[in-house]
Amino acid sequence: MRQKLEELRTNALKEIDEVSDLSQLEALRVRILGRKGSLTEILRGLGQIPLEERRVLGQMANELKGVLQEAMDSKKKALEASGKASAKEMALDVTLPGRRPPKGHPHPVMQVAEEIVEIFAELGFQVASGPDVELEYYNFDSLNTPKDHPARDLHDTFFVKPGVVLRTQTSPVQMRVMEKTPPPVAIVAPGRVYRVDADATHSPMFYQIEGLLVDKGVSFADLKGTLIYFLRRFFGKGTKVRFRPHYFPFTEPSAEVDVLWKTDKGEKWLEILGCGMVHPEVFKYAKYDYEKYTGYAFGMGVDRIAMARYSINSIHYLYENDLRFLEQF
Amino acid sequence: MRVSLNWLNEFVNIDLEPSELAHKLMMLGLDVESVDYLGAEISNVVVGKILSIEPHPAADKLVVCQTDIGEGDPLQIVCGAKNMSVGDKVPTAKVGATLPGGITIGRRKMRGIESCGMMCSGKELGVSDDQEGLLILSPDAPIGADICVVLGLDDYVFDIEITPNRGDWAGMIGVARDLAAAFGSELHIPSAEVEENDQCVENYSSVVIEDTLGCPRYIGRVLLDVEIKPSPEWMQQRLRAAGQRPINNIVDITNYIMLETGQPLHAFDYDKLIENRIVVRRARPAESLRTIDGIVRPLSPEMLVIADAQNPVALAGIMGGADTEVTEATKRVFLESAFFDPITIRRTAKALSLMTEAAQRFQRGADPEMTKFAINRAARLMKELAGATVTTGLLDVYPNPKPTKEITLRFARTNLLLGTNIPSGEQTRYLKGLGFVPTQTGENSAVFCVPSWRHDCQQEADLIEEIARLYGYDLLETPLPVVRRSDQVFAPEEKRTKGLRHRLLESGLTEMMNMTFISPKDITQACLPDTYLDMVKLANPLSENYSGMRTSLLPGIIRAAAHSARRGIEDICVFEIGPVYRPQPDADLPKESLHLAILLSGSLGGKHWSSPLRNVDFYDIKGYVELVFEYFGDVPVCETADFGPLDPREAARVALGDIPVGWMGRLNRKVTATYDLEKPVYVAELNLEPLLGREWQTPTFEPIPAFPAALRDLAVVVDQSVPAAAILETVKLSRGTSLVDVRVFDVYVGNQIPPGKKSVALALKFQSMERTLTEDEVQESCDTILRKLKQEFGAELR
Repeated sequence: MRQKLEELRTNALKEIDEVSDLSQLEALRVRILGRKGSLTEILRGLGQIPLEERRVLGQMANELKGVLQEAMDSKKKALEASGKASAKEMALDVTLPGRRPPKGHPHPVMQVAEEIVEIFAELGFQVASGPDVELEYYNFDSLNTPKDHPARDLHDTFFVKPGVVLRTQTSPVQMRVMEKTPPPVAIVAPGRVYRVDADATHSPMFYQIEGLLVDKGVSFADLKGTLIYFLRRFFGKGTKVRFRPHYFPFTEPSAEVDVLWKTDKGEKWLEILGCGMVHPEVFKYAKYDYEKYTGYAFGMGVDRIAMARYSINSIHYLYENDLRFLEQF
Repeated sequence: MRVSLNWLNEFVNIDLEPSELAHKLMMLGLDVESVDYLGAEISNVVVGKILSIEPHPAADKLVVCQTDIGEGDPLQIVCGAKNMSVGDKVPTAKVGATLPGGITIGRRKMRGIESCGMMCSGKELGVSDDQEGLLILSPDAPIGADICVVLGLDDYVFDIEITPNRGDWAGMIGVARDLAAAFGSELHIPSAEVEENDQCVENYSSVVIEDTLGCPRYIGRVLLDVEIKPSPEWMQQRLRAAGQRPINNIVDITNYIMLETGQPLHAFDYDKLIENRIVVRRARPAESLRTIDGIVRPLSPEMLVIADAQNPVALAGIMGGADTEVTEATKRVFLESAFFDPITIRRTAKALSLMTEAAQRFQRGADPEMTKFAINRAARLMKELAGATVTTGLLDVYPNPKPTKEITLRFARTNLLLGTNIPSGEQTRYLKGLGFVPTQTGENSAVFCVPSWRHDCQQEADLIEEIARLYGYDLLETPLPVVRRSDQVFAPEEKRTKGLRHRLLESGLTEMMNMTFISPKDITQACLPDTYLDMVKLANPLSENYSGMRTSLLPGIIRAAAHSARRGIEDICVFEIGPVYRPQPDADLPKESLHLAILLSGSLGGKHWSSPLRNVDFYDIKGYVELVFEYFGDVPVCETADFGPLDPREAARVALGDIPVGWMGRLNRKVTATYDLEKPVYVAELNLEPLLGREWQTPTFEPIPAFPAALRDLAVVVDQSVPAAAILETVKLSRGTSLVDVRVFDVYVGNQIPPGKKSVALALKFQSMERTLTEDEVQESCDTILRKLKQEFGAELR
């Protein structure tokens, strides 16, 4: 029995010394000092031993218990103090995902429209709006596009009733603003527009932003400078821009603006904007003095810009609203 | 319009690579959509001469030919065609040749006989629709020559989109003129001189214009002894390059001249015109015309026709009649070159859906002066290519010649409008290059006569654009924009809508943008009340599904959510801000109101390891509605109410004070079943107009209390029907207390209280600005509140 105790002392102390973390230490404690631990067993076995011996052995056993207890305590303290084992043991799994505040995804068209409007807002353009269901007068006639004008073929128009259409462009906002406001004016007008057109690249509803600036001494060069500034702000500093003649009934001179767009298939010119100097006939409708004031106007397709920016290959994704699409933005 | 480089080169010398020319055209405003090399897909096809044709020993339908291609031994080729004879020259594809459509020719055995190449039909080379037999080439085609050169396929074709203002660009000469002006080089106009016989045209025919509004000018010519045959290969090539099908020499010449000058012509079989004369008039009631496409077209009195002494023989400016068309039997031709009113032609062409090449040119506005040049040039070619005898003189009816338009240009105005510094001499030079003739030139301004083909130029700004085009848009300066002072960039409503949008995005909702089109079926499927069927209807919708403008955002957002749900998306938390449209009885335009729709289904944020998944319920949608109201500085007034799409047990009307704003709740089973939605779906739709119109409240600072608050919890038992809002209202209105806040923190229904009752636990907060409240004071306040609740609702302390 004595020998057993001696062995236990030697082994236990050695084991305590070798323990490298708290769980091992705890396991060891249970194995030796626990209810069914080896030392507990010995103590329990003392009853069968003659009284004389029992006292001595009892003393030895209790002393050993004290020694081991102390060794374990100090080992525990040491382990805790070293921190090494405790961090490994007690640390959270920091790789588990965190609890994130909820996040919604902006619609790419609205997102792009907002960014575009912001750039012009910084330049002092005011944000204006007009109705989607519009008078033919504002959508066409007052924009120098009378009935039977071939330019009307460029816009296949949804009619509501005679004289009332779904606007085919955001340009009617120009006239609505000019009617109400004497010059100078500087506005941008985002909004939905509609054309009888549905194929791989056309949606019957899409989104445009119109711009109009009328003041003394505004020139075609100012228009070009402003639009190039805008395009480089939006698409990046080195963006290559091409300004080429075009025809719109309500501007003269008119231009179309292309941006050189890089795709994995190479570079190509992407038509982004239509623009020009406000036509004198439009000024007549607005009762603006063409001798005193000049102005420019521009319009751009936000869908097309969004599609280019995010490499979206079909316009239909934009209005289908599949969450697997929306959640990418 | 398809413009051939070879053809264009006849009118102006072009020293540019095709890609450079495309750029030049672009920079002049001619939108080049594509540049095609006609022979791009053809290689190793040469002129071959058939030396012998022997029957195939094993196939009745095949023959074995020996064909000389000018190099080495003749090729043995097995062929299925029948139209060739020994000595014919035909396009011959060598082994390894490529043909349009990615076809490669290899050496192969056909029924046991080796075939070393292929002899081609016009269709196989992509130059005609004729697939019946081989394309028989002219006898003088040099053996072994590249077929692309022989067939004129060694050419580039620019597909150009012409803007509606430029009628003159619908002819090669018009395009060449702008190029010549841009290059500063000369425009070569081909000859229109024609040798006439000694017989007066008046002896053969006459022209009467009854409607000079529809037809300001009409010129006719009569040609005798015409020999109808295919036009020469060079002309056929050009027509094909331009996308036209060759027919016969007379018809081809009219088309050729149209492409060259932009002036459509028409040739009638002179002998089929009753009394051999022409009357230009509006159609008479009940008249009809069989046009050359074989369709009998009923005519209406606003349509302009060309008639003989009795019947319409052509739809003026659009399409000729079948009965008077030129056929192989034609001996004498009446040739027409006219200027028609653009609007008249446009209306008729639209009414009949017959926007022909001619109609497209007339509706843009042709050149009344070009009529004469074009008819003479055509007569010249008919003499040359059809052996025609041209009678003397023109039947030219032009009662009110269009006066020449004069425009004054102020040189300074040009520079002001363009932001340039272009000297007056340069400005004049540009305009002269385009055919504008200066009459009075001063130091500061000049008067220019507008050429007849430029009816689009009406005023000074139009001349300035011409100067800008030739000066070059790319040379314009690009000054930095001037930042303008503005008292208000965003209108308050704009700003708040934008702010709300961001608030909703930040709160975890994804933004949708649905089509604003809707159909009555969408309304009924969503169980919306019948008042929503009163919608703006489209006269020409794309489809029945898109027949009107939405009166609610719900059908759109529910449909989109269902789309995602069907594709396995479990959590759908979305919103849309957009207009709805309601017809107004006394106004032309509907009322457009900005609405907000929110839809929640599944869970907010999805599964997370830290807590069990919680699916959304009514109080989630209500929370969002509260968030919206809070954004506008208010709280929603909610009460149970029935609304079509919603489950009546979980439905509420939402109001701003007493102004109804919208609805929220759970979609009923009928709706979810229709849309195939399995999980519960909660929606809200709010009209944002009252909220946007609400005066924006700036918070006023309230002093922070210096003394501590006393907190008390109070649970009261009331009838289950008592709304929480009523309890809170009563608590807040209890006078004589120092209550500063009250919240519901628990609602209990169950065994521990009597049936039909519920326990509502309130967290009360009392506070005074002056001092710390005593225990007695707080207790007194609690008692007061309890007493009030007892009075109002029979509430008992639990």
